[in-house]
Formats: sequence, structure tokens, C-alpha cells
Amino acid sequence: MALFNKEKTGLNIIIVGCGKVGANLVTQLIREGHDITVIDKDSSRINEITNLYDVMGVTGNGASYTVQMEAGIKDADLLISVTGSDELNMLCCTIAEQSGKCSTIARVRTSDYSREIGYLRDKLGLAMIVNPELEAASEAANILGMPSALEVNPFAKGQAQLVRFKVDEGNVLNGRALIDLGRKNTESILIGSVERDGEVYIPNGMFKIRSEDIVSVIGTRKSVVKFMEYTGMHNQAVRNAIIIGGGQSGIYLATLLLNMNIAVKIIERDRARCEELSVLLPKAVIINADGTDEEVLREEGLVNAEAFIPLTGIDEQNIILTLYAKKICKGKIITKITKIGFPEIIANLDLGSVLYPKKITAEAIIGYVRAMRNSRGYSNIETMYHLPDDAAEAIEFRIDESNKATDVPLKDLELKKNFLVACIVRDGRTIIPGGSDYIKKGDSVVIITTEKGVTDISDIVR
Amino acid sequence: MNRSMIRYLLGRVLRIEAILLLLPLFISFIYHETLGLMFVAVALGSFLLGMILTIHKPESTVFYLKEGCVTCAMSWITLSLVGALPFYLTGEIPSYTDALFETISGFTTTGASILADVEVLSKCMLFWRSFTHWIGGMGVLVFLLAIIPMSGGSNINLMRAESPGPSVGKLVPKIKSTARILYMIYMAMTLIEFVALLIARMDAFEAICTAMGTAGTGGFGVRSDSFASYSAAEQWIVTIFMILFGVNFNAYYLILFGQVGRAFRMEEVRTYFCVILAAIAIIMFDTIHIYGSFFTALTHASFQVASIITTTGFASADFDLWDVTSRIVLVMLMFIGACAGSTGGGIKVSRFVIAAKTVFKEIGGYIHSKSIKKLTMDGKPVEHEVLRSVNVFFITYIFLFGLSTLLISIDDHDPVTIFTAVTATINNIGPGLSAVGPTQNFACFSISSKYVLMFDMLAGRLELFPMLMLFTPNVWKEFLHPTSRPTYLRKK
Repeated sequence: MALFNKEKTGLNIIIVGCGKVGANLVTQLIREGHDITVIDKDSSRINEITNLYDVMGVTGNGASYTVQMEAGIKDADLLISVTGSDELNMLCCTIAEQSGKCSTIARVRTSDYSREIGYLRDKLGLAMIVNPELEAASEAANILGMPSALEVNPFAKGQAQLVRFKVDEGNVLNGRALIDLGRKNTESILIGSVERDGEVYIPNGMFKIRSEDIVSVIGTRKSVVKFMEYTGMHNQAVRNAIIIGGGQSGIYLATLLLNMNIAVKIIERDRARCEELSVLLPKAVIINADGTDEEVLREEGLVNAEAFIPLTGIDEQNIILTLYAKKICKGKIITKITKIGFPEIIANLDLGSVLYPKKITAEAIIGYVRAMRNSRGYSNIETMYHLPDDAAEAIEFRIDESNKATDVPLKDLELKKNFLVACIVRDGRTIIPGGSDYIKKGDSVVIITTEKGVTDISDIVR
Repeated sequence: MNRSMIRYLLGRVLRIEAILLLLPLFISFIYHETLGLMFVAVALGSFLLGMILTIHKPESTVFYLKEGCVTCAMSWITLSLVGALPFYLTGEIPSYTDALFETISGFTTTGASILADVEVLSKCMLFWRSFTHWIGGMGVLVFLLAIIPMSGGSNINLMRAESPGPSVGKLVPKIKSTARILYMIYMAMTLIEFVALLIARMDAFEAICTAMGTAGTGGFGVRSDSFASYSAAEQWIVTIFMILFGVNFNAYYLILFGQVGRAFRMEEVRTYFCVILAAIAIIMFDTIHIYGSFFTALTHASFQVASIITTTGFASADFDLWDVTSRIVLVMLMFIGACAGSTGGGIKVSRFVIAAKTVFKEIGGYIHSKSIKKLTMDGKPVEHEVLRSVNVFFITYIFLFGLSTLLISIDDHDPVTIFTAVTATINNIGPGLSAVGPTQNFACFSISSKYVLMFDMLAGRLELFPMLMLFTPNVWKEFLHPTSRPTYLRKK
């Protein structure tokens, strides 16, 4: 095998299940140069995916030993099981553990198992269990803790946060160049990217922010909150929230919000489900009514709600509810969209914060794959984040040796266009760099760029 | 239709051909032939044209099966048009039609020649003739996939259009690695044959040409009598390698990675060997009275069987003089052809296996009218799509065959000549029977018939549909007026 693998930079990955998440994973992982084999029971799905992407397809039951052998489990580094069934996913992983030497990732959604994730992971020997609903719920909870943000993402191993927000008409930032914001206000934060009319800009000091821009700010939580307050945005966590739909993600979100001392009201149509909910979430107010009825929403005080989160199982319904709520309520609204598709249309609807559980799942898995590739020494990229619409990337590099980018103050470093040094992590401390800071050997450095295919830190210097 | 991508790929093909055209130059240096300089001129022209076509990288690399087929057909035509120039410009083959026939015959690994005496050609021309076999055997687009960095899974559509067989699979997840593995196996086997021939004391130049001709299952020889004047040892080496190059390359991949058992369980490969053994047996007993000795009969029978079933087209004996049974067996082998995924042509063993199974299933359906039985191949169910494509292939094949026969019948040859001329070209074999037999050539046909046969060779090599697509008005419509892409899909 070694003969043919000289230039191999990726891992051998087997993905079981070619649904939306599976396809999304394939798209992203193929771009990062991995060798991928997909397994699905449905041969037409396999045909579709092998026609679109450079992957090998195997038709069959992913939990079958013979099928796994055919997909090359012996040489695989990782098996990711994202079929519709939790049990099948776990079985696929267990069998892969026995027959190969690979790590395994399973998607497990049901709340029956979600409380036992730690136990299952250890006993079944899984490397990771992802729960899309839970991940989506915790992201929603993050946003509700900082309601003016569109999105809140942990960054640099949780040392910093990346916060996206939209600049309104009355914002102080409106019409000002970054350089005029004043040292005091921008000291420990960094404006990483600005989205305007579907394009992503990496701003320099001369860049003028306009209203309707979506700005991504990087910094520690405290400094970002301070900065947003300076710009005049309200940033207290919400005090109450209305959730429509008491499904799986509804329960996860309600639990998280109740822990944050936020009053939760759940509107659920099914009476039996309501009774279950009232047992599971004794502190929440459970309303047995149709949450898609205008009257019900008014009666339950949507007008004064500080947060409104439609979590019905139907995307279209969630979108309609959001559009309606935007009209009558001033609170924070978060929309959950399960199907990924028509991104331009959704962007045009101006929904505000949108959660894609499937995208979040894919991202969590990809994060793991990157770390794994890294540990095999294929690259010195620690992690990589895709900023909105994949137009820009934030890449974290490990600096193992000195090169032309190190030991030079950033202001003297001639960076290529569209590159920005976003933060430096040195000895576990996060530095949001100014002109006099410099990169040292042993640091981890996060750069933001709209260029693709950056593989080394020295690529950023002219 | 993604025209810019087609243009770009054509440019890349021309650039590769420019490099390939330089190889005969070395031969002309060795043999002090000034003719070789013509290759430099053609290579330069081809390279410049290629550069012009590839200046602008295409905006979108999205590529569907239709683009794959059109690119494939156009690449092969371009390849042949340029590849014929050295023959024509040096005057070795005075007519361009003949030069083109010879080149297409080379690239499609047919081996049908319009030359009565090949020994008058210069060495570098002989080398180029055999080299076209080698390039065409595995396919130039597969080569392209192996060396140029192209992302996007739609490349499978290029490979699918060029590779023979009812369903094209990958060996490993990445198409680039798959293409590389195929070429490595191909090169290694060619090299082994070359060395084996040298050990059997063949002249180095003849050995290299023969090795390339065998590898591509082509059939251009360097002697006028093809293989009749070589020693038995040399003939046996070539026999064995012809058979080996007719095996599905997936089998070699499996053997290479230690799964010998799986390789030998491949139904297609087993059927292929069974057919070969049966044919050798029949012909040997049928010809033993001509050759007198058992061994000579065996040598000639196996050489001819291997040569015809793999669609190579070398001949160690004038099989046109054999008894009717032997000739009929050979003609049947012409249609069967080699395995899918090999360098050989013909209808392919796997299609016959599937077709035979369909027939048995149908008979079973008469007995138990409500029975349901899914066809399997190598223990796996055959998808409906594959079945349908096999059936359609047979039907299309018959139509095209009939039409070609009708078109060249205008030339007023005897029916056997007409029939086997089409058989030998559409199946990429080379020699037929009667006036196109192993000691004859295709020079007797009129210009229009030659073009029909050229089309047949290309259609046979590319498995009919890519070539037929070029003659479909809808394809032209799409090619001339591509539907505009929504603005948000355009690259900024």
C-alpha cells in the first residue's frame, strides 16, 4: 500500500449513512483531502453521491462485517455512523471496533441514550458521540445569553469567542472606519470579518463599517460584551423564553435555559406529550395549545417575550413563526432549520439567528477529524473554522519552528491581502494582537482569511 | 453544458499528446532517421494549441456524464487527428485518410492497417504506431486523471466514458489514486513482457513494439507477416501476455493487495478463462490435420484464440485458410471480447455473462410464472440500471453493426469480407477474414467506407454511446446554447 500513498495527506474514513448529514460530511471532508468510502443501503443514494464526489461507494448494511470489510475497514482510520437509527449507529461502531483498528463516531439522538452518553462511549469504545439536537440547543442557549449576537462560537479551545452580529442603523459603528474607533474601545477585541451583500471582507484599519453589515468579533467573552455595550447593543441575557414544540430539542433547550435561570414557557399541541414534559421539566410552564395559532401566541404574551424559539419539526412552519414573531415582538428569535438547502433564499428572508442542527453535527465531527489528522502529523493545522457561507476560514496553526513570519512585530510583517492574524495563544493565554505583538515559536496562531488552501503559517507573508 | 471545462480538458489532452509525440524522437536518434524531426514540429503545434486552450481555467468544474462523454469522444478524435499528422507530413503514408485510419486503428487498439508492407516504414513511425496502442489501451483520459490535479467527484464521469465495461468501479476512494494504480499495473506488466521477450532473444526494438502492442491489445506488428516468422518461445510469451492483458485489472489490484482468493472468484475472469480453454481445444483438434504435430497445433490455436478474444489481432498463422469451424469459433470470439476493465475491446465477457443469466432467468419465468429472482454477479445483486444498460448496449450494437455493414457494402466486396471488416473494427481486433484476413489489409476499401470503419473503431473503443452522442441533435443544441447558470453560482 505504501507505494501508492506517498502523497497521502488525509485519513481513510468510512461514512455509514448518506443522508443529509452524511452528504454534508462528505462535501467538507473531501475538500480537506481525505479518502472516503460511503456505505448506504440504498444503491441510488450511493450512485448519486459517487457521481457528485470523489468517493468510493459500497451498497449494503453498514453494520455487516462483510460490508465493512469491502469498504476497507482494515485500513480505515475512522468510521462515522450517521444513519437515521441510533441503535444501528452504535452497532456499526462496535463492529468496526472489533474488526478494524479505527476510531469511531456515532450519532445518537434519542434522549433515552443522551443521559448515558458518557457510559455508552466508554463501554462501546466510541471516540465520540454526537447529538445534533443537544448541540443545537446549547448553541441556542449561548445566543440567548448574548441576545444581540447572531451566533456565538467558542474559539481557540474555548479561550476566546467568535461573535457575529448585525450593525443596525443607530449603531455607533455605523459609517466609521475601524481606525477611528479608538484604542480604548478596541483594545482586546478584533474585528475578524465583515459580510456585506453576500461578500466577505477581511477589514483593515481604513475599512468603514456600514449599517446592515454583519460583523464577526473575536475576543474573550468579557471583552466582546464590553465592546458590544460600547456600540450600544443590549447584552443582558434574556429573562424569559417561549419555545414552540416540546420535541427532543425543546427539552434540551428548556433544560439548559432553566439552568441559566431563564423562565421557560413551552407550547405543545399533544396533550400526552405535555404531561410528559411537565414531569421532565417541573420548573417550566407547559401550555397545551397549538403554537402555530396567532391567538394562542398573543394570549401567551409573545408581544412581551424576550426570546422566541420555534422548534417544531417542520422547517417551513418555523420560518413562518419567526417572520410573524419579528413583526410583533422585540425579543430575540432563533429559528431551527433541519433541512439544508436554498441558503440564498433563507439569507434573504432575514431571519436573524438560524440554527442548523445537521450543520452543527457535521462541524463537530469535522473538528474531531482535523484534530485526528493533526495528531497523525499530516499537517500543523490545529483546527479550522468555516466562517459563514464558507467564504472565509479561521485557521489555527501550531508554530513548531521559526520562520519568516515569527519574531517580527506584526506591524512590520508584510501580510498578503485578505489575511489577518486574529489571535495568538501563548502558554495557555489568549492574546488579541496589536501592531507591536509578534509570533513566537511554540505559539498557536489563529489567522482569518478568504483564501483557500492555506497550509502553513509562512503562506501568509508576502 | 460546461463548454469551458470541455475546452480545458481538450487542451490538456493536446499538451499530453505533445509530450507523447516526443518519444519517437529518441528512436529516430538511435536509428539516425531525420524523419523524426517531423514529430518535433507536430508536438510543438499540438503543445501551442493545447496552451491556447488551457490559458483560461474554467470557472466551474461541474461535470456531468454528458460532458464526460462529449469530452471523451472529442478528445479521442482530436488525439487521432493530430496523431495522424506525422505519418502524413513525412509522406510515409501519402493520403491523410489512410494516415488517420492507421492512427485511429492505433489509438483504439484495433490494429487494422491499410499498409501492405509495414517493413518499409521508418523505425520511428513503427514505434509511434505501436506506441498509440499503448496510450489507447488504458486510455488517455485515465492518464490525464492520474497526473493532473483536479478536484471534484464529477471526474468519475470522464473515467466512466472512457473505461470499458457495464459498470465502472473504483479501486480506492480517490479517482486519482485509482488511475495511478491502473497505470502502474499497466506499466509494470508491459515492462515484464518486454524483459521476457528480450530473454527469448527478440530484437530490442521489436520487443518494445510488441510489448506495447500486446499491452494495449492492439495488434500492429513490425513485420509484414505479423507473428508467423517468430520463434515458438516468442509466440508463447506473447500468447500468455495477451491473455493477461485481457483480464479485468481489478483482479490484479486484488492480487497485489493479497486478496488472491477474491481475484480468482471473480465470475467474469473465470468465464473468460473457460471460454479461452474451450476455444483452444476446439481449434486445436480442428487444425491438427493441417499442422501435423500436436504442439504446433496447440501453439497456433492458443496464439490465435488469445489474439482474437483479447481483440489484439496478431496472427501467427493465416487463419483464413483454416476449416470453417475454426473460423466460426474465431468470429464468435471476436464478438465476446476481453473482460471489462481490461485493455481489450469487444462486447466484453461480463456483458455476455449478464445476458446469459437474463436468458436463464427468463426461461425460469416461463416455468414458474410468478417467481422472482434477482440476478447476481460475484454474489452481489445486479442493479436494474446495469441490466438495462447491458440490454441497451446489445441493441445499439446490433443497430450500429447493421448500419455499418450496409454502408460499406457499397464497396462491392464479398459478404464475408464486409461482415468481418465491420466485426474486426467495431470490436477493435484488426484482421478479419477473406479480403481483410490476417495476410491482407484494409487498403481495398473506398474512402467513405474507411470513414465508416474509423467511426466503428472509435465507437467500439468508447463503448458506443460517447461517439453516438456526438451525432445527437440535442447534444449539439446544448453544446451551442448552454443554459445560462444562475448568477449566484458564478464565481465572483
